[in-house]
Amino acid sequence: MAKKIEIKNNIRTLRFFANEMTQQQLAEKAGASRQTIVAVEAGKYAPSLELAFRIAEAFGVSIGEVFSYEVKE
Amino acid sequence: MSYQEKRTIVTVLTGILILAAYCIYAFGKVNAGIESVEDLKFWAFAMLLFIGVGVVANIIIQIVFHILLSIGIAIKEQIQNGSVNDDEIEKTLELEMVEDEMDKLIGLKSMRLGFAVAGIGFVSGLVALMMDYSPALMMNIIFISFNVGSILEGIAQIYYYRKGVNHG
Repeated sequence: MAKKIEIKNNIRTLRFFANEMTQQQLAEKAGASRQTIVAVEAGKYAPSLELAFRIAEAFGVSIGEVFSYEVKE
Repeated sequence: MSYQEKRTIVTVLTGILILAAYCIYAFGKVNAGIESVEDLKFWAFAMLLFIGVGVVANIIIQIVFHILLSIGIAIKEQIQNGSVNDDEIEKTLELEMVEDEMDKLIGLKSMRLGFAVAGIGFVSGLVALMMDYSPALMMNIIFISFNVGSILEGIAQIYYYRKGVNHG
């Protein structure tokens, strides 16, 4: 059976370095709701590949700089 | 609390109120001896009446909810900026009302629970009929299970908004 993976993200750090971008501003840039950004940032929701790319694009970085994963035992 | 959560809570409360009103109206009439339990026409009328009441009440309550939400945003703006701007309120409302992939996923997952409850109710109604219980009981089991299913769907939505949701 495939091992479970946990998706992690650096959104809070990236927002800080993007001139303390608000969650609402990020939501607008990524075309999502603020609620979704809050959930993604808190690790409560793993976004679709499309939204993940749009979030990365909003910061002007690659997707790997925003999201990473950890294999859970 | 997000717009979607608030709207879902309002919908759940409306559903509970409608179900309670139906029970008070229909079972009240039967208990008072005004209508007979076996009168299927009465039950059909009561259920149709409350389906209509439910639709109208939902529309009215949603309108009132959106008015109150706008007032809330205006008050918040007044406190924060010292002035109220119609365009700003409209923009904030639009941003709050954005529905994206997470809302759709939560909607689908909770709908599954709603359908399951309604389905169990439907089968239970048929089983009750097979066991020679009154057709009125079957109608009530089906009607109430559909309502309960819809209420549980809302509660599941609130749960997923709070706890988070995963694909698969």
